[in-house]
Amino acid sequence: MEGFTTTTTKASAQPLENADVLIASVETFIFDCDGVIWKGDKLIDGVPETLDMLRSKGKRLVFVTNNSTKSRKQYGKKFETLGLSVSEEEIFASSFAAAAYLKSINFPKDKKVYVIGEDGILKELELAGFQYLGGPKFGQQEDGEKKIELKPGFLMEHDKDVGAVVVGFDRYFNYYKVQYGTLCIRENPGCLFIATNRDAVTHLTDAQEWAGGGSMVGAICGSTQREPHVVGKPSTFMMDYLAVKFGILKSQICMVGDRLDTDILFGQNGGCKTLLVLSGVTTLSMLQSPNNSIQPDFYTNKISDFLASKAATV
Amino acid sequence: MESTTPNPTSTAAAELLTGANAKLLLDSVDAFLFDCDGVIWKGDKLIDGIPETLEMLRSKGKKLVFVTNNSTKSRIQYANKFRTLGLSVSQDEIFSSSFAAAMYLKVNQFPPQKKVYVIGGEGIVQELQLAGFTALGGPEDVEKRAQWKSNCLFEHDKDVGAVVVGLDPDINYYKLQYGTLCIRENPGCLFIATNRDSVGHMTDLQEWPGAGCMVGAICGSTEREPVVVGKPSTFMMEFLLQKFNLSTSRMCMVGDRLDTDILFGQNAGCKTLLVLSGVTTRSILDDPSNKIQPDYYTNKVSDILGLLGE
Repeated sequence: MEGFTTTTTKASAQPLENADVLIASVETFIFDCDGVIWKGDKLIDGVPETLDMLRSKGKRLVFVTNNSTKSRKQYGKKFETLGLSVSEEEIFASSFAAAAYLKSINFPKDKKVYVIGEDGILKELELAGFQYLGGPKFGQQEDGEKKIELKPGFLMEHDKDVGAVVVGFDRYFNYYKVQYGTLCIRENPGCLFIATNRDAVTHLTDAQEWAGGGSMVGAICGSTQREPHVVGKPSTFMMDYLAVKFGILKSQICMVGDRLDTDILFGQNGGCKTLLVLSGVTTLSMLQSPNNSIQPDFYTNKISDFLASKAATV
Repeated sequence: MESTTPNPTSTAAAELLTGANAKLLLDSVDAFLFDCDGVIWKGDKLIDGIPETLEMLRSKGKKLVFVTNNSTKSRIQYANKFRTLGLSVSQDEIFSSSFAAAMYLKVNQFPPQKKVYVIGGEGIVQELQLAGFTALGGPEDVEKRAQWKSNCLFEHDKDVGAVVVGLDPDINYYKLQYGTLCIRENPGCLFIATNRDSVGHMTDLQEWPGAGCMVGAICGSTEREPVVVGKPSTFMMEFLLQKFNLSTSRMCMVGDRLDTDILFGQNAGCKTLLVLSGVTTRSILDDPSNKIQPDYYTNKVSDILGLLGE
């Protein structure tokens, strides 16, 4: 995790009682996706109406997710399948962030990027014009996964032109991929180590938690003894990017998320208002636990409470 | 250095082993503790001059002990490996981190009705079974794959009371998920690491990611730190001392890695000898960022033989 700390002692989060005031005070809403908009492949109740209402009030909507398995285009399709009209340009996944980061530092086009991660990262790198290798099926033979035979004389070669290793969530994680990335980072001079995110767990299915990108990143930290540059939440890279892109002031933004150490910290680090929803991984008791030091401005059950509050306004 | 107290912050530069100081070293120690990967062998190939050197040391009445962080084999399996390579070493002389993990559970009275989930190899599973514990996972979970369909729940055994993580070239998402759920959801579940070596010479030609990789993965998904039973933790030294009635100041730790072997030796109050036949080069030793200075350094173990004119 990046070493961000909140500089002020935060007052406890307030339950969201007057949504209209919050809505009126900001120009843009940034939504996390897993646990806020959907859970797995199921839309959370009341989301379509809520988004429509916000748009009708002239609010800009942006979707920022640490989930790197899909590209923005693929996320656009997911939104469409779920009946929501969200354009690609409104979506910022950590897969996109990795490519945007490389672009922002003028990563040379004659260098290559090695990826431990899934399709989304590969697609975004391709769109950005970078040469890449790796991805989910890397090192697999036709009949299945490549078996490493650790026997005398076996040498794994690696491409000396790899100038960056991008690590994200990878369900097809294996030793072969780890070794390849480790060799690049340890032996290619100046090789960058970039992490899409470090989420410990993620909700792949709505029923339970699954080991997240933090696991794959932790593995590479372990073998290289290096810390990565993180482009996803809570790093503010994506916030800075979209603030410039849309020409918006961060004080005019409200970040809405279900996770304290990524979403809310992201919003606070960026200087935005923050709203925690309890429709995802965080419960009220976790929020109020003495062990928790991250206090959003507001909390509520789910985003469709925006509609209920409106109705309840006297 | 004759000090009996550990001096881990000593930064006096390591001395190159010479004929003179090699003789002094030999006279001042009664036992040599050897790391294995990068010291005795590289992968499955013996390093030059090892058999003759070990024989010479034994002939001079020195006790030989092998302390390895590589948890893929049990002590019995290591004894077999030694034999295959033409060296006669008994399992009592071997202290592997696989053995250390089982002993940690034993000395901490881990209830035998609880189970242990293993991310690692046969070595850990065997040592756990020898110590009377029930081991799940290990090589059995190599071919398992996770499913993530809406109605599919990834199940895990609620009786798992400890997860042991070691070197696992067959690491996969299923194992990461299983270990993660045990640690996060089974109340009081222990998280034990055999060791945290970043890389090691798993083959003769190059370094490969070590247990530090698998342990790092589980740290990443659980946000917890493990208890480490292998070097540089001195946990294994307790067992060594039980076996040999010797002061640690009469022991010399010989290893190829500064942050495990040499630190282990220093923490325990032993003399330390770094060999450059493994993961550490002269430039790593001399680099200003390196804070760990062994007492002595030399190219390889068999230099002892050469320097003594044997």
